[in-house]
Amino acid sequence: MAALHAWRAARVTPLGELLAPPRITAALLRLTVQIVLVASLWRGLYSQTGTTAGLTRDQAVTYAVLAVLASRLRELDQYAGRDTVLQHMHFGTIIYWYLRPLPPQRYYALRAFGEQLYGLAWALTGYVVCLAAGVVEPPRSAAVAGVFVLSMLLGQLVLYYVMLLIDQLCFWTLRNGAAMLILIFAQNLLSGVYAPLWFFPDWFITMSRFLPFQATLSVPLSIYVGRIPLSDAGAQLALQAAWVAVLSLFTRFLWRRAARRVVSQGG
Amino acid sequence: MNASNTRTANQIEVRGLSRTFHTTVRRPGFVGGLRSLVNPDRVPKHAVSDVTFDVAPGELLALLGPNGAGKSTTIKILTGILRPTSGEARVAGVVPYEERERNARNIGAVFGQRTQLWWDLPVRESFSILRDIYEVPKAQHAARLREFDDLLELSSFWDTRVRHLSLGQRVRCDLAAALLHDPPVVFLDEPTIGMDVVVKEQVREFLRHQVEERGRTVLLTTHDMTEVARLAERVVLINHGRLVLDGTLDEIRRRFGSTWQIRATLADAHAEAASLPGIALVRRDGPQLVFGPDGTEGPTVHQALKQVIERYEVTEIAMDEAELEDVMRAAYVQAGPRAEET
Amino acid sequence: MSVKAVRIVWRITRLNFRAQLEYRTEFLLMIAIGAIWQVSVIVFATVLLTRFSGMGGWDSSDVLLIPATRMMAHGLMVLFLGRMHSLGRYIQEGRIDIYLVRPMPVHRQAQLEYFPTNAIGDLTVAGGLMVGALSRSHLDWTAGRIAYLIAALIGGMLLEAALFTTVASASLRFPSADYWSRWVEDLLGTFGNYPLNVLPRAVGGFLTYGLPLAFVAFLPAAVLTGHGHDIGVPYWLAASSPLVGALTYLGARLLWRWSLSNYTGVNG
Repeated sequence: MAALHAWRAARVTPLGELLAPPRITAALLRLTVQIVLVASLWRGLYSQTGTTAGLTRDQAVTYAVLAVLASRLRELDQYAGRDTVLQHMHFGTIIYWYLRPLPPQRYYALRAFGEQLYGLAWALTGYVVCLAAGVVEPPRSAAVAGVFVLSMLLGQLVLYYVMLLIDQLCFWTLRNGAAMLILIFAQNLLSGVYAPLWFFPDWFITMSRFLPFQATLSVPLSIYVGRIPLSDAGAQLALQAAWVAVLSLFTRFLWRRAARRVVSQGG
Repeated sequence: MNASNTRTANQIEVRGLSRTFHTTVRRPGFVGGLRSLVNPDRVPKHAVSDVTFDVAPGELLALLGPNGAGKSTTIKILTGILRPTSGEARVAGVVPYEERERNARNIGAVFGQRTQLWWDLPVRESFSILRDIYEVPKAQHAARLREFDDLLELSSFWDTRVRHLSLGQRVRCDLAAALLHDPPVVFLDEPTIGMDVVVKEQVREFLRHQVEERGRTVLLTTHDMTEVARLAERVVLINHGRLVLDGTLDEIRRRFGSTWQIRATLADAHAEAASLPGIALVRRDGPQLVFGPDGTEGPTVHQALKQVIERYEVTEIAMDEAELEDVMRAAYVQAGPRAEET
Repeated sequence: MSVKAVRIVWRITRLNFRAQLEYRTEFLLMIAIGAIWQVSVIVFATVLLTRFSGMGGWDSSDVLLIPATRMMAHGLMVLFLGRMHSLGRYIQEGRIDIYLVRPMPVHRQAQLEYFPTNAIGDLTVAGGLMVGALSRSHLDWTAGRIAYLIAALIGGMLLEAALFTTVASASLRFPSADYWSRWVEDLLGTFGNYPLNVLPRAVGGFLTYGLPLAFVAFLPAAVLTGHGHDIGVPYWLAASSPLVGALTYLGARLLWRWSLSNYTGVNG
């Protein structure tokens, strides 16, 4: 297959991290501290309360810890390797993306794939450890587990397109772009990383349904902990798939326009 | 070198290439600023106007011109990044902006200050990734790396991460990276800028080897006149987007570098000063004669030197050639369309 | 800082501000995002407050003082000292090398790099929350209490700045230290807004003595609301939070100076 010929491009970011043991220890440390803190926070909050917003204590803790583990899937350090689109635009090295027989979008996709695969290895290991330590609960049934995996897969695709969108904005805005910040903020908040969306007021939850961000993390995790029952899962999966389709078309369109923007860099 | 896919007479063909940019100009003042948001003023900038030239296979062409003259734009069109407003270009038989990927396999490029290597990874890893992208067979890849190591001494630092390399080391690696897939055409945009003399010489030797031994076609942009003098047989001068001059170095010197001097000390202090075609006697102090060009389309300084030696018996002789920089300055200053003669 | 230096700082700040005004949509959007972000944090905090009763035994009007203090301190930090957060980027772009050649302290130049428009949004919302918290508070706001609150705000600002300055100092040597910056920001945002005594001892201890988050808002709020004696930290330590903030900032600046003197430039 033609796409396989540039497989080494996929391992660029993980390799950069693996070649620097301090970075791995740092990532491990951050992850561990975060999990401990988050689990403690939610246990502490729930110490005097029963079920709230449809979530029991264990559900909330499981959700929060899984969210922290899942963050490893999206937050690899491209920045230190000067490999973000923003940096390429700034240093002018974006030009080389257009000088190779590999389309820029394919390079980007390969790289993201490698990163998410590597992050998945981390997340899975962390999951097993947390499961053994009793910090997270196992899924209620095999069916739930299966649907969760499917939902997570779709969620990762949506996440890929959302991050791609944020990166593509760099072709237009470059520095301190407020638009970019707003997107990043929305992604962080509305994906449910900081806290399960269920704790927010109803109008907030309704609003977030119209945006793709909650499809990345909130939906799969809610299925896992059982907050979304299997009966509703079908509709949610369909919504995720719809976002994948819409975003993939939109980002494909943007790649074409972005190519025209690369033009106006430097004398 | 693998056989090029076409045996056309020219490796690079540029015909009537033009490229215009439109920049928006904001009107002054607050109201003007608002108006500019809705109805902006568009000012055309003719980066390249009607440029035509050819490059034969195995030729090294120096593309010269002051900053902002349109050199980079021309190169961007030839590498397929930009689309021309009018005119056409062909590189190794392929139209670059129409078949970008096919063109990418035929070209290698180094843009002076920008590296294409992966900052965080050892250099050799970057080479491996590029090998994958260009689908270079393993054996050829290893052989080429050995060759580059011989010429550029890469093995002493190719396991270091790119972020820790000095400028000279990095550009050498970029050169190797650009040639890894054995492209018949190479574009170099100010590759030796900021380097020390030793490394510059090494790079020049490398380029000369590529052109002479490997038969690559090289299009080189540079401001370094020593580089031009040492490497280029032919020069194309672009100014204000127009092609001002296309010719060999000798032709340029002849056209713009009119001042030279030959100082000769005669064996016989009282010998007669005969007239030589195209050479004028500027000054005489006893046995010391100073010759210069007589204003007509005369011989080059080398030819004049030969004539003086043949005609007179000299004990000492010295020549001063106009610096290539001065020649170029004279050529830059002359704005306007390409002259028809010469 | 001499008078002349203050004047230069003021002039550059005005220019930076005007530069931001040049792009009006961007300017307004940046204010908006600062505000939106804070509002969302507030929404979330109040939601938690209503859903989870008895946050460690604190009255809800008292708990509100914690995010109010923290956000105000954070807004001030962003306004005055926030460019330390983006120092990693400046280092990569070689700006430090440029700063080192100019006759102004590098730290100051970094702060004057641009005007943080989002701080306007931050502070507006934080101010609103503070007003809300104060109005709902049952405390007797004597001059002493108000003075302590102001001191706590300044101390909190300095403490947050100290954390980012420390990471920035590390960035001068290790390019990937930048990542910690984001992590510290995340932690501050996540855990800075709640009474830390809901957390188990060990964890609360980490956030007090390890990453001194507690001194930014929780401990001063505890002292103000009279809970200062039963939070697991000696009262005198909690009461001297502003001092802790100032001292850590001093330490961070010294670390910065030392790191800068060992800075070896960005490229080979």
